[in-house]
Amino acid sequence: MITRSRLFLLTLLALAGMLTFFKIPLASSQGVTIAAAQVAGALPLDDVASAVWEESTAVSIPLSAQIVARPMFPDANVKAVDVRALYNDEQIAFLVTWEDETMDDTAVRVQDFADAVAIQFPLVEGQPFFCMGQQGGNVNIWHWKADWQAGLATRQDVDDVYPDMYVDGYTFADTEAGAIAPVSSYEDINYVPAMAADNLFASASYASPVEDLIAGSFGSLTSQPAEMQNVLGHGEFTDGKWRVIFTRDLQSPAAEDAQFENNQVYQLAFAAWDGANEERNGQKSTSQWISLQLGEPAAASGATGAAAPDGTDGSGGQSSANTLEGLPYIFVPMLLVFGAIVGVAAGIWVFSRLPDPKK
Amino acid sequence: MAEVYNWQLGRPMEYVYEEAHPNRQFAAIFNINRCIGCQTCTGACKATWTFSKGQEYMWWNNVESKPYGSYPKYWDVKILQQLDEAHQTAGRSAEWDPAQTGEQSPYGIYNGMTVTEAATELNTGNQALGYLPPDNEWSAPNFYEDTATKYQGDRLGISTEGAALPVHQTWFFYLQRICNHCTYPACAAACPRKAIYKREEDGIVLIDQSRCRGYRKCVEQCPYKKSMYRGTTHTSEKCVGCYPRVEGNDPLSDGVPMETRCMAVCPGKIRLNGLVEIAEDGTWVEDLQNPLYYLIRGEQLALPLYPQFGTEPNIYYIPPRWAPRPYLRQMFGPGVDQAIERYSAPSRTTLALMQLFRATQTMVFKFEIEEGPLVREIERNGQAWQMYDDTVIGFDAKGREVARLSVVEPLHERPKERLNSI
Ligand code: SF4
Ligand code: SF4
Ligand code: SF4
Repeated sequence: MITRSRLFLLTLLALAGMLTFFKIPLASSQGVTIAAAQVAGALPLDDVASAVWEESTAVSIPLSAQIVARPMFPDANVKAVDVRALYNDEQIAFLVTWEDETMDDTAVRVQDFADAVAIQFPLVEGQPFFCMGQQGGNVNIWHWKADWQAGLATRQDVDDVYPDMYVDGYTFADTEAGAIAPVSSYEDINYVPAMAADNLFASASYASPVEDLIAGSFGSLTSQPAEMQNVLGHGEFTDGKWRVIFTRDLQSPAAEDAQFENNQVYQLAFAAWDGANEERNGQKSTSQWISLQLGEPAAASGATGAAAPDGTDGSGGQSSANTLEGLPYIFVPMLLVFGAIVGVAAGIWVFSRLPDPKK
Repeated sequence: MAEVYNWQLGRPMEYVYEEAHPNRQFAAIFNINRCIGCQTCTGACKATWTFSKGQEYMWWNNVESKPYGSYPKYWDVKILQQLDEAHQTAGRSAEWDPAQTGEQSPYGIYNGMTVTEAATELNTGNQALGYLPPDNEWSAPNFYEDTATKYQGDRLGISTEGAALPVHQTWFFYLQRICNHCTYPACAAACPRKAIYKREEDGIVLIDQSRCRGYRKCVEQCPYKKSMYRGTTHTSEKCVGCYPRVEGNDPLSDGVPMETRCMAVCPGKIRLNGLVEIAEDGTWVEDLQNPLYYLIRGEQLALPLYPQFGTEPNIYYIPPRWAPRPYLRQMFGPGVDQAIERYSAPSRTTLALMQLFRATQTMVFKFEIEEGPLVREIERNGQAWQMYDDTVIGFDAKGREVARLSVVEPLHERPKERLNSI
């Protein structure tokens, strides 16, 4: 016979099952705040081991697999990232570290995917949908890629991964160079169409390992124009750990960029990809929104501070990121929450009506 | 998920986007019976589009020897296996009901699942079934050409009967493959960025090189494996349907649509390329004077490749007469037997029309037939069959005559004094 204690046990089991099924971490990141430490001197732009990082407390942020939109991948590998933040009068820097069994820093062969990590900032007040924003709620994304890092000095090329390849010469490239002619030597870039189309992925060289993007829903991710790419970065892999630094000026001239001021609280979220697990695009681990605190926020200006510059509501400016539908997705988590509330209410009602064995 | 109508399956099916159809659709017929495996088509495409760095392994056009050759290796076996396993898991069977034919279900009704439907059924988290072929699988499109199947020979291994129709004991055939410029492209469904689009003017499917971020979801989910990753640009590329020629913008084209490079070079004269008119609801507008419409929808002589994948591919094949029927039925659907029967004893119009293959580089939009005399009477498929020396005339998009050929080719006899001259 079903008694209150048995039902309680069953409910607990069902709840645990649901949490496992939906990969909901028990340790919620909600309410976590990264306190950025203000430093007087220069920020460690490319020194992941600098003692200056110790001035900020590392915050561990749990990540879970993206399971809202296809393609999704419940078995995403990165479970958490540790984050520290520093700022001075001009710049802000983040150090993001996470564990990864393999260093995947090439994407030349068809089966190779690179490790990556990203930080996302809302461009509107409050918290738009935590995955890629939503219509009318654009987000600014800084995306560091291990292969861009590895290709900073010289872009990785097919002759790097296939050193024994032989080619007489590539027409329209440096024909004398044979197999080692770099793509940047093409006289007529129409034969490198992605380069001709100004795709940053195909640029002859990378100015930074971090790509600066905007998004306004799933599928809308758009790279900012080359001249607006202003996020610097540096990543190193040692002892099964990636350590990646992101740096940018506190204020950016780009309309669709996050802006930072002292004594404010901002929202941000993280995502990470394990290349060895073929993770890319929506097949990733993400965090919920996290708070980022610069200095001592005045009581009133606190909670709502968004990285949106004045006058930007996220729907103006570069609207290309906004034209695709994404709104339905925000209903998925809303539905889940609503379902949970209804479930709990129904549970309490049933519970109250069952015989209590103690009586 | 939206519901769209797939006439090749004779039923509505699930697809990620709502129906939206081009005004005209790029289509072609490949007559497998005539292909000599010379790979001129393959070379023409490579010399036009894929000779640059990072494209070394790209053969947007490839000709593979069936049953063992494939590019990438075993693509067909692998995707068929995935689809089969999906049916087993779901407790369903991938069967056709060929009895239920109708105007919008010419091959009957497919009762199994497509690659898209199976992905939903199995909750794969993706839009379609698929896999990413690693670099070592992009090799060896042609092997076991002459020893494809074993036959029982005499003591010396020599066949006692030789080969005879309807099915040769030892068989293989060439399968010519380009992107199918599908009506419901799985590559476009798979792309999380909507970087793949189908052109309104001709239904050619292209990857926007400015939006592609090299996720390779299209490489993974095109069931025909016709989207390919370029390591030097970190973007995927695919057959572009030679769109400047199809648009009529090629300097040679005189402002009218021209056949693509791979079609126009074919010495085996196996290919016919053109555009068919599409109604708003996706149906083919009836036009029995259009050679493609006549052979694909009228005579049903040419059939789609693996229609059960559900992408509604737009390259149509005249199946090889000598290959085992179960293999062909799996490959081209239930219309195979009728197509082979009609190809073996072609109608008067079909025979004349077959002369148009590779008669001109210009796309033929309309044909006419001038009747000629009876030249031959033989038995075919157990019945009397007559051959007439009819003349077929092809017209371009502007209605100008671009080709005129008769069934009996003109015969020139070499004069006695030049018998041995080369
Ligand atoms: S054959 Fe493949 S690449 Fe071509 S349109 Fe169809 S799904 Fe896309
Ligand atoms: S249509 Fe053009 S691009 Fe496509 S395979 Fe043929 S030659 Fe290559
Ligand atoms: S050019 Fe024609 S005959 Fe030669 S392999 Fe290609 S399709 Fe076959």
